[in-house]
Amino acid sequence: MSSFDDIFKKYHTPLFLYARKFVDDEDVILDLVQDVFALFWEKKKFRFEEEHVKAYLFNSVRNACLNFLKHEKVVRKHQENRSSVLQEMDIQYYGSGEKSLIEKENLEKIYQAIDSLSDIHKEIIELSRFEGLKNKEIAERLNIPIRTVETRLFRALSSLREKLSKNTFHIFLNICHLPAG
Amino acid sequence: MINTTEYEQLIARYLNGELSKEDEAELIRWVSEKPENKTLFLEVKDTWDASSKNGAREMEQLLQFYRKQASHKQNSRFPGWVSGIAAAAVLVVGLVIGSLFQNNYFGEQSQVESFSVPMGSRSQLTLADGTVVNLNSDSHLKLCKNFSVQNRQVTLTGEGYFEVTADKKHPFTVKTDKFDVQVTGTKFNVSSYPNDKKINATLTEGQIQLFTKHNKTFKLKPGEKISFNQQTMEPVLEQADMESEVAWVNGKFIFNEIPFSDLIRRLERWYDVKLIYKGSEFDSMVYSGKFLNQETIWQVLDALVLTSPIDYRKNNFREFELLYKPK
Repeated sequence: MSSFDDIFKKYHTPLFLYARKFVDDEDVILDLVQDVFALFWEKKKFRFEEEHVKAYLFNSVRNACLNFLKHEKVVRKHQENRSSVLQEMDIQYYGSGEKSLIEKENLEKIYQAIDSLSDIHKEIIELSRFEGLKNKEIAERLNIPIRTVETRLFRALSSLREKLSKNTFHIFLNICHLPAG
Repeated sequence: MINTTEYEQLIARYLNGELSKEDEAELIRWVSEKPENKTLFLEVKDTWDASSKNGAREMEQLLQFYRKQASHKQNSRFPGWVSGIAAAAVLVVGLVIGSLFQNNYFGEQSQVESFSVPMGSRSQLTLADGTVVNLNSDSHLKLCKNFSVQNRQVTLTGEGYFEVTADKKHPFTVKTDKFDVQVTGTKFNVSSYPNDKKINATLTEGQIQLFTKHNKTFKLKPGEKISFNQQTMEPVLEQADMESEVAWVNGKFIFNEIPFSDLIRRLERWYDVKLIYKGSEFDSMVYSGKFLNQETIWQVLDALVLTSPIDYRKNNFREFELLYKPK
């Protein structure tokens, strides 16, 4: 059993990042995540087991995002700034029970994995993800062609993905090797 | 068919660059070509989404905010509680909550004397004499020094619904900025927010006496409501719509022919949001309405849009701007 504060501190950022998969507006996301936490508090769900809590929070946030998107479509008839085909794909993928890295890993692990990348991959992740630079800006900063930036970014992400899935596998092995009984 | 380098670049462009319409079509075609492509795309995007450091902003500030929200939401959820459990137990809860918020909002050294309810929350507490007080959003209740069964005086800012334990010998007094209400054992509502156009008192049961700071005295009968224009202190005595007056005690948000500016202020307090509007077009609008099921602020604003010449947009975290828009 954890306290509300612990759970909040642990999951607020991951939930925020998760919601960003579906919704662009960060202020909206903050509101949606807040509502999820408020309900979570009211229902006293934090007394349940950690794994259930986690699944509950991620599912609730995803549902809140989907409801928001529906609402947006009805009320605003807003112009899509993301390709709706690709966005729909994301929604379906996670709606079908697929877990995202953000849900599977803790942030610490993700940052560690970034740290263990080769220097040039680490650099491009830091520039794009931590400093928020666009590909074009990175190209200018590093004085390399924009197409090189794109390729490098893709490869850096693939390599990061690989490291993270290896890590997960590692834990799994460790558990298996615990002495029986 | 495109080669490896090309789709890699397309995905990177989609994630962090400028994707043209042709690029997008090309990417969608590639992704739809094979299930493996789709999986690769989704996995790389997932890694991209997971590696951001952006979400950690204002963590402490946010946590403070949630704490405030959560503790009070929780507290307002116990309508059946009080009757079920001895008043003494509730008093302890009241004291605990009181001391919590005393630290946060008043920082006084003395014993528990003040109760505070932030915006977006409601709270119920029981005083030492058994009187039950429901406090509405953004309200403060201060007990006089040595509040006891014999000495029953409180000061209210904001809105409170009082169910006063009967005691003919020791009147219960609620002081506000502009008037005092004195009773011996009744149920009544007092609303006295500093920024509202009107302040008022409404009587549900029993009898109350009201003394203004201008030395005028009013007696109210059950079902009556007296309102004062905050500036002029001009009184209006009327039969109250009891349902709407005390609906907030049960978590319902009902309002009856209130000016736009008051509606906005009530919404701000009820939902702990900031609502901004400019222009004089709003001044003449009068609203009646009921929100019974704890609608979200989005739903309430949508209802405003549907029923009146208003549109809204979100400016910031918990901040909306209302725009006049004739249909």
